[in-house]
Amino acid sequence: MRRYAFFPGCFIRVRLPHLEALSRRILGELGVKLVDVENFTCCPEAVSLSVDKMSWRVMAARNLSLAEELGLDILTLCNGCLYTLRTVNQELKGDEELRGRVNDALSIIDREFRGLIEVRHFAEILIENLEKLKAHVERPLEGLRIACHTGCHILSPPEIMGFDDPYDPVILDELVEALGAEAVDYDLKTLCCGWTLSTYGSREASERLLASKLNSMRRGGATAIAVICPQCFHQFDVGQASAARRLGVEYRLPVFYYLELLALAMGFSLDEVGYRYHRVRNREVERALEVAG
Amino acid sequence: MRSPHPLRARPIVIGVAEACLRCVVCCAVETHFCHVQFEEGFDERYTYVYHCLSAPDPASNPGIWLCTACHKCEEACPYETSPLRFIEAAKAEAYKRGLAPRLLTGIIAQITSTGYLFPITPSTMRRRAELGLKPLTTEAAEELRQIALKTGLAEPRGEP
Ligand code: SF4
Ligand code: SF4
Repeated sequence: MRRYAFFPGCFIRVRLPHLEALSRRILGELGVKLVDVENFTCCPEAVSLSVDKMSWRVMAARNLSLAEELGLDILTLCNGCLYTLRTVNQELKGDEELRGRVNDALSIIDREFRGLIEVRHFAEILIENLEKLKAHVERPLEGLRIACHTGCHILSPPEIMGFDDPYDPVILDELVEALGAEAVDYDLKTLCCGWTLSTYGSREASERLLASKLNSMRRGGATAIAVICPQCFHQFDVGQASAARRLGVEYRLPVFYYLELLALAMGFSLDEVGYRYHRVRNREVERALEVAG
Repeated sequence: MRSPHPLRARPIVIGVAEACLRCVVCCAVETHFCHVQFEEGFDERYTYVYHCLSAPDPASNPGIWLCTACHKCEEACPYETSPLRFIEAAKAEAYKRGLAPRLLTGIIAQITSTGYLFPITPSTMRRRAELGLKPLTTEAAEELRQIALKTGLAEPRGEP
């Protein structure tokens, strides 16, 4: 694989640093070289900055210009960061007039967007190197039945994101099956996790949504959940714990960030992947993983 | 007759509001639909998208802030309408008029003053140290502050 400017994103760096530590280790073992860029800031987040799209573009272009200086594509761990950085990168590459206005604003900090790099999500790198990934599986995750939740912002709009079919995403399922686990189908597969709704809307609505989604996963026969976005991870972990408490229903569907599953399949222990930081745990799933070991 | 609200004179807003046939596909067809429907008060007859598109002054409708830019409404709509573009235009107008909720202005201030979307707490720093990760620094935010001044993001907002 190759070198990338590493963009873990604020959510992982601030709230879920164990995923940053694990990602560095696992991607490193797969031969992905991650280069730290000290001055990267928030991507910035698209929902809040949608009130001023020009500022959103200029701040994103600033991050892109830092990677351009190093001559490196960006690799991110977060669907939201991918959405912002890829959208702005594509808009500015394709619109000279807009690029001129953005560069005029960037000139205040002596920076320039030139349109020299691409923005990648780690899941894209892995699916493109599936055979190499399979060669690292030492302990197939047999017995795990996983509901895959790809998330919204890596899928849409498909003409920009280009990752998978937004109506019927299957790439995360393929990645999960490459580890020896079973990816189960469920009817609310493309329903949002509700994390952003819990921020901008009401917690009650987000919990009702989560209850529908988790019930759908259970009807599909899932024993665990896989995600590729830290916000989705947080929602299915902390959000599930709080929804279960408030609604008086135990779903017991532990969620794994995909790189945690990959690490487990590579022979890491639950403790080494940071399972102690998870809120939702399930003894049966732990046992299945121990047996797989 | 009262003249339409200035926001309603914008081509995106007119286009979306007029193209929408209120068919409710974007909000009421299970499997690929707007998740804001889970908020109290919306159902298959009174949808979130209808709520946004039909408000007399879309920018002062607090409901616009529930949209999370997931694009599902665009994808579900059989008539190639984009409620998201309508809602984003309304949000931008609301921000200019000082109608954005404090949560949102607080998030923007957080990003431009620290460079991070979330506050860095002592427990963040402790956990990063335990995991052998570098501490987080906020120096880069100075460039975001300068950008915000240049683009006008940092200007005080409110009704003239
Ligand atoms: S973009 Fe907004 S209005 Fe459209 S489906 Fe998503 S949350 Fe609903
Ligand atoms: S936006 Fe499209 S799908 Fe939604 S109600 Fe209007 S016409 Fe129907």
